[in-house]
Amino acid sequence: MTSVVDGVRRTALAVWRTYRVGLFVVAVGLVLTLLTPRFLVEGNLVNVLTNAAVVAIVGLGMTLVIASGNFDLSVGAIAAFAGAISLSVVPTLGVGPGIAAGLIAGAVVGFVNGLIVAELRVPAFIATLGTLTILRGLTLIYTGGRDIYLVGETGYKILSAGAMPVVLAVLVAAILAQVVARTRLGRHVLAVGSNQAAATRAGVRSNRILWVVFAIVGATAALTGMIISAQVLTANGRLATGLELSAIAVVVIGGTPLTGGRATMIGTLLGALLISEINNGLNLLNVPVFYQSLTTGVLLLAAVGVSTAGRQFMKRAILPLISRMSE
Amino acid sequence: MTTTVDPGTRLDRGRLWTRFGIVFVLAILWVVGVAFVPNFANPDNLTSILRQSSFVGISAIGMTMAIVAGLFDLSVGSTLALAAWASVLTASATGSPLAALLAAVAIGMIVGSINGFFVTVVRIPAFITTLGMLFIVAGVMLILTNGEAARYNGPEFIWWGNAAFGFVPVPFAVFIVCALVGSAVLRFTSLGRYLFAIGSNAPAAHVAGVPINTATFLVFVVVGIFVGISAMLLGSRLYSAGPGLEAGFELNVIACVVLGGTRLSGGRGTIVGTVAAAILFTTLGNLLNLLHTDPFVQRVATGLVLVTALSIEGVRQRLAERTGSE
Repeated sequence: MTSVVDGVRRTALAVWRTYRVGLFVVAVGLVLTLLTPRFLVEGNLVNVLTNAAVVAIVGLGMTLVIASGNFDLSVGAIAAFAGAISLSVVPTLGVGPGIAAGLIAGAVVGFVNGLIVAELRVPAFIATLGTLTILRGLTLIYTGGRDIYLVGETGYKILSAGAMPVVLAVLVAAILAQVVARTRLGRHVLAVGSNQAAATRAGVRSNRILWVVFAIVGATAALTGMIISAQVLTANGRLATGLELSAIAVVVIGGTPLTGGRATMIGTLLGALLISEINNGLNLLNVPVFYQSLTTGVLLLAAVGVSTAGRQFMKRAILPLISRMSE
Repeated sequence: MTTTVDPGTRLDRGRLWTRFGIVFVLAILWVVGVAFVPNFANPDNLTSILRQSSFVGISAIGMTMAIVAGLFDLSVGSTLALAAWASVLTASATGSPLAALLAAVAIGMIVGSINGFFVTVVRIPAFITTLGMLFIVAGVMLILTNGEAARYNGPEFIWWGNAAFGFVPVPFAVFIVCALVGSAVLRFTSLGRYLFAIGSNAPAAHVAGVPINTATFLVFVVVGIFVGISAMLLGSRLYSAGPGLEAGFELNVIACVVLGGTRLSGGRGTIVGTVAAAILFTTLGNLLNLLHTDPFVQRVATGLVLVTALSIEGVRQRLAERTGSE
């Protein structure tokens, strides 16, 4: 009997953890639909989803890094770097190779982050803070501090056109969710995130896991960077400044704990959607754009505050109720 | 028995390096600069390095105390901008530098108290709390200022950021006083002992009766006070302050603390190291400037120094493990 009760408990907790952000997404959507007729129209929804997708893609990679017990502060710099590489390859080699070059650049830089963290044992926060500075510098040197424009090549727009960013975000989420749930790599990432020393003792090659995790987040950052570059057909050294903190915020609002060992890709998607939805709503309601930074912050504290309170509520009220009913 | 003594002394040498290595590196950099780089030894240049290092350095003293306790404050960048703005505005209204300082410190203490409240009462991890406050304070600043900077150049106010006692710039004098105070708090007060205890092992500290919540709350307020002092001096130095002042300030401050040998996970750290690291970063930028390096190259160099310096301990650990396992 107890095992059944435990199962119900665990499922209830897991469902609550994954989908509570979804409740907020729906609630905010309803409120906005009531407040303004301009919210629930196709063009606007595409905007909301696209804005969410751009941050979500790098957020999904960040979810994996955070699940491994680390951080990546260099994602904004990687996005700018990959965007610049990609845009400068496109005119000579074409769109496909250009996109491939960006992704490879991102993955390679991420891999180097992984090496620094795993092999040189620099705390990820500092290692990626260092590579953030280095990469911003390299991108500025490479672009000469100017903008790289893509003129006469409209094929690159495929990355940002229509529903493409949303499709890419869902695709990345689906792949990474499968990796976490069903593959050995995923299990090992969570093991390293829970307790790296124990995982290593148990035979997990922790260092290699970290190389791979950082390479993956590098690739997702590159994809986000290229989508932003495609939206404006421009790349420069200042592109995606501050993306690292927005990405971490999305992950946290989505319900992935910063302590490592757990990951929810759906949560991250929903977290990005929630921020995008609220910012869009404020825009539609003619609230000055200054308030958007405020919303992200308040949402971050509210999400974690509510989840802390919610966990207490589950523990003190709901779970005892389930136990009592089963007796 | 001699073999047991040997690794002990080797460990001490290692510890000495992590604590004071940065001071040696700084000394070497200055000797090299004086010997080989034209104009480096020029008194005006040295004065400007010391002045420039103070703004980040003063905030880094508070941050050192937080990181020693295993805590973190990402909100300092936004707080610096808001406090500097409040201080310039107050100075232009009253003409009094003291009032300007009090306004800046008050803003710092308010933000610090809110951080402390969320961390100790609502129990949101410091990283998330202060990340949220980074966004919130930046938003509040934009709303209050409407995106415009405050300006004031009354002589009494700008004296604090721009004047010097001989070769010692006023901000640097303030920096040193702050460092002495910070060092004394860490070493000689019960708050200092509590911070080290919490950073080393929070559950053990709790069992031993350390008032964790009080100490945590206080350290956030202390960070705010130091940021407030930095902010007033910076506003005075620039005659103005507005949104977007010193973007990325929080990360520079943390970089100084960590380069100074304070362990990011807490329990170990010195103010001397932080002070040396703040001067080191500024010196490095200055040397590259004098050598006419591209400002973009300076960023690369700064990042490389950070990663290299922080790699040394890990590499030494690995070497020690290898020799130990053989």
